[in-house]
Amino acid sequence: MKDKQIFMEEFSSKLHRLGRITLVLSVIFLVALPFVVGALFGVSPDFKAFLSGFAKVGVIYIPVAIVEFLVYTPMLGVGGSYLSFITGNVTNMKIPCVMNSKEIAGTVDGTPEHEIISTISVATSAIVTTLVIAVGVVLMVPLQPVLQNPVLLPAFNNVVPALFGALGLKYFMKSPQIAVLPLALMTSLYILVPSLISQTSLMLLPSGALALGIGFFLFKKGKLK
Amino acid sequence: MNTYLNEVNSGFFYLLVAAVLTFITLMCVVFLVKSYKAGIEIGMDKQVLKKAIVSSATFTLLPSISILLGVIALSGTLGVPFSWLRLSVIGALQYELNVAEIAAQSMGLPSLRLDLLNTEYFVTIALVMTFGILGGVFCCIFFLKKYLGKMQAKPKKAETENTESKPGFGAYATTAMFVGLCASYIGSYIGKVFAPGDGDWMPLVVAAIAGLCMAVFEYFTQKKNMKVLDNFSLAASMLIAMAMAVVIQLVI
Repeated sequence: MKDKQIFMEEFSSKLHRLGRITLVLSVIFLVALPFVVGALFGVSPDFKAFLSGFAKVGVIYIPVAIVEFLVYTPMLGVGGSYLSFITGNVTNMKIPCVMNSKEIAGTVDGTPEHEIISTISVATSAIVTTLVIAVGVVLMVPLQPVLQNPVLLPAFNNVVPALFGALGLKYFMKSPQIAVLPLALMTSLYILVPSLISQTSLMLLPSGALALGIGFFLFKKGKLK
Repeated sequence: MNTYLNEVNSGFFYLLVAAVLTFITLMCVVFLVKSYKAGIEIGMDKQVLKKAIVSSATFTLLPSISILLGVIALSGTLGVPFSWLRLSVIGALQYELNVAEIAAQSMGLPSLRLDLLNTEYFVTIALVMTFGILGGVFCCIFFLKKYLGKMQAKPKKAETENTESKPGFGAYATTAMFVGLCASYIGSYIGKVFAPGDGDWMPLVVAAIAGLCMAVFEYFTQKKNMKVLDNFSLAASMLIAMAMAVVIQLVI
């Protein structure tokens, strides 16, 4: 077997090439789709409205995308990043999934083993999601009355709190000294400025940065195990 | 069914979406197989690799069902094929309706209302939704290699100097970042209880139940060494908490 480091460098290089090619092709397909459908029915996009809409959406989502790229790609590694950013659900599914696999496999960030586990984890997650949704779409007509049964609504309305309640317990127990301040500060902010509750996806960024800062401080003081 | 819904649910549109999703799924399969083989090549235990696959699959199952419900919610106005595409690739459930609403309003519509939509509006909305969410993809295409190269340069140096040395902050950074992420979400659930009007306490209760279940699982995996539970602890905690939400709603 070749030296592990050299092997991984060659492997990463191949993944970068493959990732770039497939992402470019995916973007072409995704952008072409509305035009093809429009052409089929003899309509085309209203470009003035498109620019206006894109400006509003871009102001919110482009900075978020850049920050997500900067923060999450080191956790996801090469393969995990290409796959996560094309398949979506990065914060709510891919990152927790990678963290879960990392925990189970016992890998450390930045190592070749973590790169492998991360890519396997994201790829599996994306395939499972696609299959579940595809099966669901096929079954949608007969399933719709069951799934839309109002009795089940509280369950599916609260899937994200269920996710972060379970993960929160796990990570707060792991690093209580990091968790206390961000949790207290975020809770106070949401209580004092309720309009921020609808901006939780943006508030993740300062909260994460604060936790990162506290973690770094504790690390420098040698207080992180 | 009106003309608009007939057009956005046309068989041809289904085929187009299926083709795009097949391409992206094949991409995932290729990455999965290559990484698995690379793992074996560098001497990783096959059992660990298989465990990562199984735990990722079980972990994803429940949230995927919730995404499917998002497809149903979105399909009422944007048709099934486009909703299927949006929530299978790039998109995230919590963003889609918001972006569609912004796009609809930018065309002068009061909101994303089925009775006001036509196929021309639809293709414009679809284009805004597609371009608005491509930021991360473009970052990966243009900057990922350089950025990860820089990020990995330092740990590599430390590793060559002393392989037994204490891990750098990078090893703790993701945990810290994730703690911050959970703090923001859980803080928002507490905030919802105190929000003006009728405070919404259900998210906090569900999060607390899920946390409690996870604590029980942690006890058995950490203290009783029942490591097999690790694969199911998250999904099971979520499922129990979600089921309790239904029970609570029925009781009150």
